[in-house]
Amino acid sequence: MEEEEEVLDKKPRYSETEKYKVFDSEFMPHIDSMYNFAFRLTNDEDGANDLVQDTYLKAFRFINSFQKGTNAKAWLFRILKNSFINDYRKKSKEPAKVDYQEVESVYNSADEPQYNGTVDLRTEMVHDLIGDEVAMSLNGLPVDFRTVIILCDIEGFTYEEMAKILDIPIGTVRSRLHRARNLLKEKLRSYATSMGYKELR
Amino acid sequence: MSEVKISEVKHNCQNHEKCMEMIQAVLDGSASKEEMEHFKNEMDTCLPCIEGHNLEKSIKDALNVKLEKKCCPKATVSSIREKLGFATLFIAFAILQIKVIQAVF
Repeated sequence: MEEEEEVLDKKPRYSETEKYKVFDSEFMPHIDSMYNFAFRLTNDEDGANDLVQDTYLKAFRFINSFQKGTNAKAWLFRILKNSFINDYRKKSKEPAKVDYQEVESVYNSADEPQYNGTVDLRTEMVHDLIGDEVAMSLNGLPVDFRTVIILCDIEGFTYEEMAKILDIPIGTVRSRLHRARNLLKEKLRSYATSMGYKELR
Repeated sequence: MSEVKISEVKHNCQNHEKCMEMIQAVLDGSASKEEMEHFKNEMDTCLPCIEGHNLEKSIKDALNVKLEKKCCPKATVSSIREKLGFATLFIAFAILQIKVIQAVF
């Protein structure tokens, strides 16, 4: 909560008319990306609608802490991510917030099945997967791993931007992304083998 | 691969996990200068890394191309605007304009 308050710290800057102008020109162009991100997090259209509305209302309320001309998309994504963790998960009575440290230590342990390159999953298998299988593989990841993949591969944020959105060091973004991708490969491989692909190598 | 002889290509990678992290950073456009340099110089000489690169790229492409991009419903956009009083602001602005015109004429 503290980090959110820090981001949303009020510093009066815009007149009432300017607020609407900034909101329209800087925030609204990102609404489809925001909805897409919310949908990928919640896997639910109603949940995505609530999350986007809540984020945009918060963004307007704390618009004075947004510096015009800076990275509005990253700013909005950070608010949405925090709303998802702090509000949406509580409201939807989902399991308690995943502890990043715990998740990472699990996947960091010596027992972690290191993804062994092309022995299992191959490029042509990925080409043959359909969208639903890719989506289900992504949805099957723990939300913290899913988030880094969405931010990087779907929304195209840099590691630096992701570090700011997630409030973690760049090194952690990098290692989390690597682990997330290893897990995703395992999921994709399961779908590919269930389609009848055999491990040829 | 053109300048590398087939016999020079490594079939085992000692640091594959570390290499894959670097390859991912290159594909993500977030690699450091040193990593970019290393990638350019060494990539063609390691078969597991070449294959790993191709696989990472195909997954990244699949996530981009095969996943449906959801658009925000118009009703949600309207609801946000309504809650923030965009309509009220517009009406107030229009009334103000009418009053100014009336005052002038």
